[in-house]
Amino acid sequence: MTGKKSKTEKADQQILVGIDLGTSRSAISADNGKKKWVESYVGWPKDFIARKVVGKSLLFGEDAIKHRLSLDMYRPLKNGVIKEGTARDEEAVKELIRHLITLVSGEKTEAKIRAVVGVPAESFKVNKVAIKKAVSEFSEALFVVSEPFAVAYGVGALDNALVIDIGAGTVDFCIMHGTVPAEEDQRTVLTAGDYIDQQLFTLLEERYPQADFNLNMVRRFKEQYSFVGKPGKDVEVEIPVEGKSTIHTITAEMKRACESVLPAIVESTLELIAKFDPEYQDTIRQNIILAGGGSQIKGLAAYLEETIGEYGPTKVQVVEDSLFGGADGALDLAKEMPKEYWTEL
Amino acid sequence: MERRNTKQLKQTILRGVLEDNLKIEKAEFSASPLAGPLKRRTGTILPVAVLLLVAGLLFTVRGNVPLHPPAQQVSKEISARLPWNDILFKEQQDVEKTFAQGWSAPPFDRGRLLKYNLLLNQANVRLSSVFGLAVKTIVIDPGHGGKDPGAIGGKGTQEKDIVLDIALKLQTILQQGGRYNVLLTRTTDIFVSLADRVRFSNEQQADLFISLHVNALPEKEYNVTETFYFGPPSDAYTLHLAEQENHSSQIPSVDFNNMIKKIGDILKEQESARLASIIQYSLFTNMEKYDRILADNGIKIAPFVVLLGVDAPSVLVEISCISKEEEEIHLNNPEYRKKITTSLAQGIKGYLTQREKQVVKGEDNDGKEIENRKS
Repeated sequence: MTGKKSKTEKADQQILVGIDLGTSRSAISADNGKKKWVESYVGWPKDFIARKVVGKSLLFGEDAIKHRLSLDMYRPLKNGVIKEGTARDEEAVKELIRHLITLVSGEKTEAKIRAVVGVPAESFKVNKVAIKKAVSEFSEALFVVSEPFAVAYGVGALDNALVIDIGAGTVDFCIMHGTVPAEEDQRTVLTAGDYIDQQLFTLLEERYPQADFNLNMVRRFKEQYSFVGKPGKDVEVEIPVEGKSTIHTITAEMKRACESVLPAIVESTLELIAKFDPEYQDTIRQNIILAGGGSQIKGLAAYLEETIGEYGPTKVQVVEDSLFGGADGALDLAKEMPKEYWTEL
Repeated sequence: MERRNTKQLKQTILRGVLEDNLKIEKAEFSASPLAGPLKRRTGTILPVAVLLLVAGLLFTVRGNVPLHPPAQQVSKEISARLPWNDILFKEQQDVEKTFAQGWSAPPFDRGRLLKYNLLLNQANVRLSSVFGLAVKTIVIDPGHGGKDPGAIGGKGTQEKDIVLDIALKLQTILQQGGRYNVLLTRTTDIFVSLADRVRFSNEQQADLFISLHVNALPEKEYNVTETFYFGPPSDAYTLHLAEQENHSSQIPSVDFNNMIKKIGDILKEQESARLASIIQYSLFTNMEKYDRILADNGIKIAPFVVLLGVDAPSVLVEISCISKEEEEIHLNNPEYRKKITTSLAQGIKGYLTQREKQVVKGEDNDGKEIENRKS
């Protein structure tokens, strides 16, 4: 808890923030020590009745999901990019960023925000201008970088390393070789967390046609029990059948759904490494870093080590904090960015 | 020593981040004509926007006033990105050379603007290649569903069930590799109006739309396969078929009037025709192995409202003919449906590969590289 400051002091206050703008979750880390995250959902009440019911003109994250039936819901970075063509999605990105900044800087602060924003690699390619515009309203100066690059910087994997950032909408691959990665050093595949949810949903629907569940529930099952390879123990979840909560075993379905994304991950990893200078391919193979929510799938690192290991010695590590890895990396970039660079923008 | 190396690496990287972001700012300054959202949002309008920008840069120059520096940067950036830079930007180079020598600008020539407009309507230039348009989202549309069973075979097999199963399998195959976002207009046995199918495809900003159907032709003695894209009916049969398929469109007249404006979209027509031909070829040549008297009805043009309404290049595939008893038995066999799916997937992948190759090489419709054509 910080003490109250005078208005002049507040005006002079400068906060450096690192933002990880994700498809599923967005996180912010600030140099004042605050860290927050929110589900990347933004919802506007559908009409004045809905406005009265939810009591707010704009809802975010869990709050928005909870009241989704009363809201026009937006998940603005679905599939890793700002869903194009709708002004509301761009507006949703802006509101999400405003909300995140408010979470660490306070409602009425006049602090000067300097931000580094990490966005999904695909979005960095196609939406960087839009994202920059969206953030610029709330910050004095800002840099936009690709998400896997922010992660790599945060964990110090600056040279001869491969970061695989498994998010909800995309899996982003980024080879680090001592410079800012160019487009050819990065790759995006679309079979990511959301794809696992869809697969699991379909498989459960087939196996338990009487069970009553939705995609949100399936996503929670995945977050709690996802695994590849050999199951530790049976995965059992409660799903209502005709209103009665019933235990269902979903081990086989969970395994199949989670493993459905593996071929694309392995294929892209091998392709990216094979493209790199042959002298350093071995080093990169032994410096693979898994980040993002998908890095928490049990057995994934071991599976990749074994599969990619057929091409030579392989070491796969998982970032310590998958939720804040991107935001912390972006904050590190912000902290270490020379002062004159901020003003040069 | 290592610490010093890390420090140096970080300095290089941070400098790179700054340079990247300065580039973004420049792009922002130039109203981001090539930024993703606008590119996708404008759909086929993008080429017009880009050409107008280029035309503006080239021809709004007056007297001896040099080109404004930012405009030069913008045009160079565009030049570097587009595959047809050799052709159109040679003119800009000439203009710049003229200024460098202190000569006056060439007179404004409306004729050349007209040429650019004509380029957009050239049936023999593949616009997807010229403008490097990529495919990202594919919408598969299993026909009918719910209260609308579609065609029904003599043993009670319903078209809606067959096409849904094939669509789900097709989605799985096309999503492998993670390069494409493959969506279905329905994933269960529910009724979806044609209007909603069109709306879904357009809202998802599909780059390709593939509608799957099964035919019923009791008057034919053999099984047939055929693929359609939008256009005026080629014969009375296609008109009748379109009438049947459009039956439950639920499209209000006002929306239909808007749809009509899409007629003449050269890009959509070019790509629809190509997609139709590759799918039909793959489907027929593969399925002929299992049905020797399968008839290849080929590519047809018909006024299916669902094909007109979607913005993306679109085709409607009549996979086979359920009114043939033997074919109905085949269609009830999951293995047979898998073969149909593989044939469709092969065709679609063939189209995607060909399109990617063309975008990279910058080929025209005849497969000749632009460079060759110029010479």
